[in-house]
Amino acid sequence: MTKRRMFLRMITASLLRRRSRMLIALLSIAIGATILAGLVTIYVDVPRQMGAQFRSYGANMLLLPKEGETLTPASLSDALQAIPEDALVGASPYRYIRLDMTSRQQSFTAAGTDFAEVVKTSPYFSVEGAYPENTREVLVGKEIAETIGAKIGATMTLTWQPALRSADLTPEESRTPGAALSGSAEGFGGGMVYVTAALDEDKKIASLSIDATTQTPEYGGQLSQDAAFAAQFIGKALPLILNEDVDAFTGATVTSAAVVDALNQAVAATEQAQPKTVNYIVTGILTTGGEEEGYVFMSLSDMEAMTGSEQMDVAELSVSAGAEQLETYADAIAESGSGVQARLVKRVTRSEAAVLTKLQSLVFLVTAVVLLLTMICVSTTMMAVVSERRREIGLRKALGASDGSIRAEFLGEGLFLGLLGGVLGAMLGFVFAQVVSVHVFSSSITFQPLLLPAAVIVSMAVAAVSCLLPIKRAVAIDPALVLKGE
Amino acid sequence: MSLLEIKNVSKIYGELKALDNVSIHVDKGEWVAIMGPSGSGKSTMMNIIGCMDKPTSGEVLLDGVDISKETSRRLTDIRRDKIGLIFQQFHMVNYLTAVENVMVSQYYHSMPDEKEALEALERVGLRERARHLPSQLSGGEQQRVCVARALINHPELILADEPTGNLDEANENIVLDLFAQLHREGTTLIVVTHDPEVAEAAQRTIVLEHGKLLKEVINESFGK
Repeated sequence: MTKRRMFLRMITASLLRRRSRMLIALLSIAIGATILAGLVTIYVDVPRQMGAQFRSYGANMLLLPKEGETLTPASLSDALQAIPEDALVGASPYRYIRLDMTSRQQSFTAAGTDFAEVVKTSPYFSVEGAYPENTREVLVGKEIAETIGAKIGATMTLTWQPALRSADLTPEESRTPGAALSGSAEGFGGGMVYVTAALDEDKKIASLSIDATTQTPEYGGQLSQDAAFAAQFIGKALPLILNEDVDAFTGATVTSAAVVDALNQAVAATEQAQPKTVNYIVTGILTTGGEEEGYVFMSLSDMEAMTGSEQMDVAELSVSAGAEQLETYADAIAESGSGVQARLVKRVTRSEAAVLTKLQSLVFLVTAVVLLLTMICVSTTMMAVVSERRREIGLRKALGASDGSIRAEFLGEGLFLGLLGGVLGAMLGFVFAQVVSVHVFSSSITFQPLLLPAAVIVSMAVAAVSCLLPIKRAVAIDPALVLKGE
Repeated sequence: MSLLEIKNVSKIYGELKALDNVSIHVDKGEWVAIMGPSGSGKSTMMNIIGCMDKPTSGEVLLDGVDISKETSRRLTDIRRDKIGLIFQQFHMVNYLTAVENVMVSQYYHSMPDEKEALEALERVGLRERARHLPSQLSGGEQQRVCVARALINHPELILADEPTGNLDEANENIVLDLFAQLHREGTTLIVVTHDPEVAEAAQRTIVLEHGKLLKEVINESFGK
C-alpha cells in the first residue's frame, strides 16, 4: 500500500467513522455552497435574461396626446415629421377598447394597431401562426387563447358596446325610433347652426326646427322662421343630399348646407352609437411574457369600422438615436403644434438597470456574509474536532508524525469536506436558484456548467482557510501528553 | 555495548527538581525496569528517553547520538526511527481498525504494508481481530495491538509506560510473555512501572526517588 492510499484511507475513515461531528461541518459547507452557487447563478443568469429582453425591446419613445388633445393619424404623422425618416425604425399606433365576447360572457381589452409597424417596434413579439393581413382578422394573446380555447383559424365573435357619448342625445333616445335628433354644424361666417328633429318609426323626419340666429338675418337667418324650407325635410330619410333631396334656401346656400350637415352628422352619431358585433378570424397567437398576452390585437381600420372613430391612445416609436438625440426629438415633437407629446421609455430601462445593479450588490453582500458564516462554522467545528482528538494527535506525534504530516492530515480532511460540500452545494444551489428565479423573477434559468467546478473550488478554499487556525492548534499539541496517563 | 547512556542528567521545572543529577546506562538487548513512587521522576525520565523532552543539564546518548541538544524536529525523527512506544492507556486511533492502527506507525516511519502489519498482529495473537475497531476490542487486546504497533518498525528500543497498569492478571501475563519473547530476539526493553511484579520480570531494576537514583537491583531469578 502506498503512503498516499494510507493517507486517503485515514482521512476518509476519520470522516466516515466519526460521522456526527463531520456532518455538521459538511452541512455548513454544503449550505454555504448552496447559497453561494444559487446566488451566483441568479447573479449571472437573471441580468443576462433581462438584458436580452431590454435589447430586444425596440420601442424607446412613446407619443401621447397633450392634455385636451387627441391622437389621430393626422396628428401622429405631423408629430413624426420631427424625426428624420432614416432614424425612425418604426412607429406603432395603439388604441385600446373593451370588447365583449357574449358567447362566453367575457370581455377583453382589444388593441388596435398597425401590424407592419409592430414587427419593427416590438421584435420580441413571438407569434404562432401569422399576423393579421386582411380585415376582420385578429391576433390573440396567449392568455386569452388559453382562457377561451381559441385556435388558429377559429372564428371569434366580438361586440363593441359604446360608452355614453357626449352627444346631446341620451343613448336611450338615440336607440329608440321616433326619438328626437339634434345636432349642429358650422354655417356662414363661422357661426353655428343648430337643428332639432323628431323621427318617426321608419326613421323619417317627422318635424324639424332650425336655430340659425348666428347667421345673416336677411339670408341664412331667415331659415329659423321659414316654414317652407323646413317642410321639404318632412317625410325624408337621412342622410340627405343638398340640392337633390332638398333645395337650398335662396341666397343662403352655406347655411342650408349646415342644416343638412347637422342632420346627417346627428343621425350618423346615433347609428354609430349602436352596439356592433363582428366575426373575426384568429390568424395567430401571441406570446410575449408580458401583459400583451391578455389582449386581442386587430388592425386600426377594423377598430375604426367598429367604433366609428380613428382616434388613438398612444404610439410606440423605435428611434435609432442616443439619449441626447432622443431628447431633442422629444422637444421638437412637443413644439411641433401637433398636439402630441413624446416621452422616453429609456427612463424605465434605466431604472430597471439600477434595480439590477442594486440586486447584484445585494447578492455580493449576502454571498460575502454567507462565506464568512460558513468559515466561522467550519472553523469552530474543526476547532472542536482538534480538542476532541488531542490525544490522537499526541499519539500520532509520539509515533513519529511530523508537524507537516499533522497539517496535511487536517488539511486533507478539510479539503475532502470542501469537495463533498461543494458538489452537494452546487447541485442544491442550482435547484435553489431555479426556485428563486421562477418565483421571484418568473423566468427559469439555464445550468451553468462552470458552476460545479467553481462551487467546489470555492468550498475547498473556504474549508482550507477555516482549517488554518485549528491546524495551528493541532500542531502545537505536545506528544508527551499521551504518556501522562491522561 | 550500551544503547542508552544517561550522564548527570537534571530536569528542573521552576523550583522543582524532577531529576537531580541522574546517571543510567542500558546495554543493547537489555531488559530494564524503572521503578519509583509518584513524583520520583519516572515520567520525566520516560519523556527524556522517549525524545519528547530535553534535560535542563547533562547528556543523553541514544545509540551514540546526544539527544539532549537536538531540535524537536530531529527528536521526532529519532523517536520514529529508534523507539517503539507502549502506553498505559493503550492510545489507539479510535476510528481505525486494529491493522490500520499498526499501519499508522508504518505510515509515519516508512511505507504502510498491510501484510507485514497482519503478521505483527499474528504475533500478538490477534490476526483474526485485525478488522475490528478499538471499541470492539478488550483492554488486553488493545494493549496487544499497541505492542504489535511498537514492534512493527523493528525499533532499537521499546519504551513502555506502565504497560500493564490497566490490565487484569491474565492479560498482564500475556504482555509480559510478549516482552520476554522480544527480549529473546534481542530487542532492548525499558519498562517504567510501579508494579514490583512487572519489575521482577526484567533483568535489572532501577529505582528512582525524589528525582534521584536510589538503587539498582539485578534480578537474580531472571530467566529461571
